[in-house]
Amino acid sequence: MKHLSTIGSAALLGSVGITVMSVLSGCEAQQEVPANRFLVIEQQANGGYVVVEETPTEGPNRAIIRETDGNGKVTERFMNEEEMKALAQQEYEKVEAGESALTAPPSDAGMGLAGTILAVAAGSLLGNMIGNALMGNKNFQKNANTSNKSAYHRSAANKASGKSSKKRSFFGGSKKGSSTTRSGSFGG
Amino acid sequence: MLNLQKLTPLDDTALEEIGFTWHTDSDGSKYIADTLVGITEQEAEAYYAAANELYDMYVKAAEYVIENDLFFDLGIPFNLIDPIKKSWENDVHWHIYGRFDFSGGIDGKPIKLIEFNADTPTGLYETAILQWALLKHNEMDEDRQFNNIYQAIADNFRRLVTLFDDVDEFDERYDGWKILFSSVEGNDEEEMTTQLLQKIATDAGFVTANAFLQDVKFDEEGIFNSDGNNYEYWFKLYPWEDIGTDEPELAMLLGSIMNNQKAIILNPAYTLLFQSKGMLKILYDMFPDSPYLLPTSFEPLEGSYVEKRMFGREGANTKIVDASGKTVSEVDGPYGNYKPIYQEYTEFVKDSEGNHYQAGVFFAYEACGLGFRRGGKIMDNMSKFVGHVLV
Repeated sequence: MKHLSTIGSAALLGSVGITVMSVLSGCEAQQEVPANRFLVIEQQANGGYVVVEETPTEGPNRAIIRETDGNGKVTERFMNEEEMKALAQQEYEKVEAGESALTAPPSDAGMGLAGTILAVAAGSLLGNMIGNALMGNKNFQKNANTSNKSAYHRSAANKASGKSSKKRSFFGGSKKGSSTTRSGSFGG
Repeated sequence: MLNLQKLTPLDDTALEEIGFTWHTDSDGSKYIADTLVGITEQEAEAYYAAANELYDMYVKAAEYVIENDLFFDLGIPFNLIDPIKKSWENDVHWHIYGRFDFSGGIDGKPIKLIEFNADTPTGLYETAILQWALLKHNEMDEDRQFNNIYQAIADNFRRLVTLFDDVDEFDERYDGWKILFSSVEGNDEEEMTTQLLQKIATDAGFVTANAFLQDVKFDEEGIFNSDGNNYEYWFKLYPWEDIGTDEPELAMLLGSIMNNQKAIILNPAYTLLFQSKGMLKILYDMFPDSPYLLPTSFEPLEGSYVEKRMFGREGANTKIVDASGKTVSEVDGPYGNYKPIYQEYTEFVKDSEGNHYQAGVFFAYEACGLGFRRGGKIMDNMSKFVGHVLV
């Protein structure tokens, strides 16, 4: 072939090639091992939990759970990987039964502790297959995003500019599609 | 005779796992055909050559439009003229990718340009990833496909930094400049197309992030996400003409941002010139002998013609009129307010069941991949994607 280039190998499709190959072969061997995390999870005023700190760690997954009781007293407790796995597994079973808030549209009620743990660390606690399957769910992605306020998740690499006074948004919420089909597309 | 090969389709679950969720059209039919078009290397080379030559012609025609101030003829919103000129003046406003739509090219029919989707082309996931996955899935030779789109777009992202120099210079010159990717929220195809482009840019070596359009912040100093992080590049899978007409304040602001050299917007504003179907008339006037161009006019033509709107997309507001003046096929749509253009009618290649085939050739610095659409006389939103294999 004189000019034509082809895809001789999945490697030429970069990170997408890895995903496609793992799906076609039905195996997860080629995936990266997800990093373990050290998490600080804080209970919010609405009773839900969010991750406020997240640090990758060489050691096992661990978390500190910061909760506020009815009198406003803050307590902190440690949770080891085994306990986190048990909670994640329990929430994953709810996902499979269609009863988890994680795969429902985001709501103001906040996410329970088990849901927050699964949202943040599904891959490293329950394995890549489950992690990837969950990340393929749009509601899960959105809930996972709102459950994690840590700087690590928000990309610490990017520096905030601090100039916010005059910034404006556009597209005032009216530019929303509502479809998993191709209608409303402008691909031409 | 069209060479069609049956294949085992990927099931919906597998498609969803690789992120392709828009596999079923609103009438319940499958969007990805369970056939491949078999084409020869010569046919593929001819598509490659056509797209490359046409891109050069588009560049010359755009130069002519800017020099002669023909923006009104092309239906360009007045508030985008300045951003178009600004983006045209400096190579840093690099065109990442586009898609030419062609009739012919197979079954012995000549290649004719239908239009150039230069601003917000979709069909990317299908052409760059899915049709290759279909070859793999059917244990066919994965090397037998004109498809280098992923790498070509990655290299073109690197050219944002290296411009016309060797893309290998990227690593040395790149200084952490970030690209923010945005689409409308809630349309799977647009979200996933944008995510795919983000992945390509990340693989190319850029720091990237994404935010839905409504979450992006703008001021004279630049473009920011909701956390206030500043981005040197903003890729928007959103039509420039809609920014011009629906978001005029933003159009002004983007002009200032470009003037102040605070951010670079992709695809650049000048791709709206390429996108305007009025360019088909300018091209025909400038290059009447080109084998790729159909006679095109701002007035109805003698004989059979197609009436389109300057910025109609997905076949909307398109009408085929026969030599007696009778409308033989018509698709409604929301683009009726744009001016019409008239292009000589050419019939798409047909299979034995009467389905029509349109070729889509992606362009990223050079022609880099091919896919087909299968549908009626007018390729609309219900047309199907058909992959190809080199035979």
